[in-house]
Amino acid sequence: MKDKPVKISIKKNNVSVEKVDEQLFDYQGNKSIVSEANDGRRSLSASSKPRLLAKSPKKSLRKLFWPSLFTFVAGAAIYESYLFIENLFTFNVVLGGVATAVAGLALVSGAVGLIKGWISRRKLKRRKDKQQVFNQLLAENTYGEGQKVIDEVNGEISQHLDISGPMSVYSSQKQQVHNDRELIQIYSQTVLDGLDELALQAISKHATESAVMVALSPLAAADMALVAWRSSKMLQEVSRIYGCPQTTLGRLGLTKQVMTNMMLAGASDMLADAGAELLGKSLTATVSTKVAQGIGVGLLIARMGIQTMKLCRPVEFTNDNKPKLSYIRKSLYSKITTILKKSEPSQDAIKSQGEQHDRD
Amino acid sequence: MSTNKSTLKRLVDTAEHLVERGIDKRVRIAVTGLSKAGKTAFITSFMNQLLHVTDNDQLPFFKPAKDGRLLASKVSSYDELHIPEFKYKQSVSYLVKELPEWPPSTTGISQAQLDIRYKIKNEWLRKVQKQSHLTIDIIDYPGEWLLDLPLLRLSYKEWSSQCLELIKQNRSDSIADWQEQSGQLIYQQPLSDEQITEVSNGYKTFVKNNFSKDHTYNLLQPGRFILPGELEGAPVLDFFPVTDSDILHSDWDSLAQDSLIKTLEKRYNYYKKQIVQPFFKEYFEKVDRQILLVDCLEVLNGGYQNYCNMQFTLIELLKSFHYGQSNWLKRMFNPSIDKLLIAATKADHVPPEQHRPLEAFLQDMLQEARNDIQYEGIDLETMVISSVKVTEAVMAEHQGQKLMCVKGIELESGEEVINYPGKLAEQLITRNDWQEHQYDFINFAVPDNLTNGILPHIRMDKVLQFLIGDKFR
Repeated sequence: MKDKPVKISIKKNNVSVEKVDEQLFDYQGNKSIVSEANDGRRSLSASSKPRLLAKSPKKSLRKLFWPSLFTFVAGAAIYESYLFIENLFTFNVVLGGVATAVAGLALVSGAVGLIKGWISRRKLKRRKDKQQVFNQLLAENTYGEGQKVIDEVNGEISQHLDISGPMSVYSSQKQQVHNDRELIQIYSQTVLDGLDELALQAISKHATESAVMVALSPLAAADMALVAWRSSKMLQEVSRIYGCPQTTLGRLGLTKQVMTNMMLAGASDMLADAGAELLGKSLTATVSTKVAQGIGVGLLIARMGIQTMKLCRPVEFTNDNKPKLSYIRKSLYSKITTILKKSEPSQDAIKSQGEQHDRD
Repeated sequence: MSTNKSTLKRLVDTAEHLVERGIDKRVRIAVTGLSKAGKTAFITSFMNQLLHVTDNDQLPFFKPAKDGRLLASKVSSYDELHIPEFKYKQSVSYLVKELPEWPPSTTGISQAQLDIRYKIKNEWLRKVQKQSHLTIDIIDYPGEWLLDLPLLRLSYKEWSSQCLELIKQNRSDSIADWQEQSGQLIYQQPLSDEQITEVSNGYKTFVKNNFSKDHTYNLLQPGRFILPGELEGAPVLDFFPVTDSDILHSDWDSLAQDSLIKTLEKRYNYYKKQIVQPFFKEYFEKVDRQILLVDCLEVLNGGYQNYCNMQFTLIELLKSFHYGQSNWLKRMFNPSIDKLLIAATKADHVPPEQHRPLEAFLQDMLQEARNDIQYEGIDLETMVISSVKVTEAVMAEHQGQKLMCVKGIELESGEEVINYPGKLAEQLITRNDWQEHQYDFINFAVPDNLTNGILPHIRMDKVLQFLIGDKFR
């Protein structure tokens, strides 16, 4: 950049000018964000904090266990199926052909699933990088680098959602003078706020559904399966809303959470059973513990959903806009009490139903 | 039964009134800034944004407007009937007339009051009452008068010493004339009123020239000498500082009551007590929020000496607001002003990529004052704003380099120009820093495409949010 001032009169010289909006990013694009880190005054405090280094990968035999076991089993399976198909061919050619076709189909669809999972996992990783980039831009108050990142994220989101409405609001509100922090804030409050609302609705729906299911289901084992199924469905839906759809296979970390969730559901079942035993197995006691259990599971699923939102949202939540469990809890309580008390209509049920109508 | 019902209704009504009184709020905003900092333009734009708030989608950072909670706003009449009204319509008409120009600078005091009706956010309050309204008072006054504020802390002797210091730094032709004139005075002897008027007129001319022509931002007081307002020609303005260092260091107690020095001291004290004190007491009392507008560009053009002058002047000014020996000021302001915004105006004259260094420059300049103010536990923020945006940022190529410039109509020539003002340095504090850099910020005129709808702005929404955003609960 030049240091000395320049003044050009348009009348005298015919100067070509370009609007800032379009050209800005070619001009500043080659600047890396990281190298700018020390220029920002505020980033000083951010970079002066200690940071945990990545664990150095240790080669150990334990690490080799899963890959080797997997290769062994897969190899054995392929060999076995080869033998099986060969055997069938000697028996009957048509049967052999059908078996080959089925095996091939399984192989191809499995491979496609794996690749898709891998892609979605990469998408989530990229989303995490985006979050970091946005965080850095927010901290540093730079100019002219934010729009590029916003456009990228926007492209990802618009593959799954129609955001032309909020986007037109966004482009009408942004000005060429806005710096990166302001652009990101405007983007967050115009476009992403709408997504948050959608995601919260989805979470609320799934949480209520599974709460009711758990409350009504007679079997503990069925509860566990139900929760696993509903939560993975919700996970997919929420991540799709933010433009990085996840399959249950693809996101191992999230699947782990699903497992934990299942374990917790099982544990609460055991507790509920013990409680019912203590209460003398009276019918009312069992019903009310089931309801409490349902609400507990619903809340767990809501928590998971909010975790997923935090992982998938391109711009991290601030204190002002972070999703609150209380929002879901309210609708959860009211819905589950309404549904369950419908079976034995009492004064309370009528009252809560009335409240429900008021809210609607 | 029916009597019971009516009693109940009356009770509910009373409760509603009580809540309304509790919720109804008034916020008084002090717009401070030296002359030419853009106070009038700021107030005009401030009112303009608020008056169009319901259909204004250019305020993304003004939360109540973004949430759609602001229902309507209007200019209302205020209780202080002796203060002239701020001529909002006239100011806007200056901007949008056929040959648009900036509103003329303020020569007297005026006030504006805005009423905004809004939906209540608080869940519990909303059960009692759905809507409420907020009253905003804004005062416009000549920036020159603000220079008098630090006078309240100084005795005549101290003020004279300060003037002597400032005159020493500032050697211009007009001061030489006056110094010659005042050098012949014998301070211990009485002097006729006519002669005092003559000498004081010489001083007035110097102060005026120094301030309005040279833009040195010296803290040469009193402000009413530059812009007397209704006091033009009144004997209260006939005084001047003693600039003879021998006399300054001598003991004044033994001097006769009718000696020149005692007469001057008397007039100075009268000025302080009868002019300055009532002015600030009346207009700055009960202030809740303050915004200090600073025109950094003129200083950057001017160089190191101007920078030091402005720094000194602003720091002295802010001192008067927050702590100082005169206790009544401290008592008056400290409990009430809980938010101070320091804003660099005319941001549209600066290419957008340089807003950050401009803000850093402002922060550095007022580092000392900011530190003191923040110690008092006051919410303080700095911003780079433009009340009325009159330029456009463009990329232009100059000698093979791409530069981000601003395009607009130059005020002096009336021609459309593209200006690259020079790169603002990250560090600009010492004299050496200043010598290495050179700036050319030009003044831009109002383009002829403004309408009397919503005025284009830069970050006025953030200003609104900071100053009054928390009042719409």
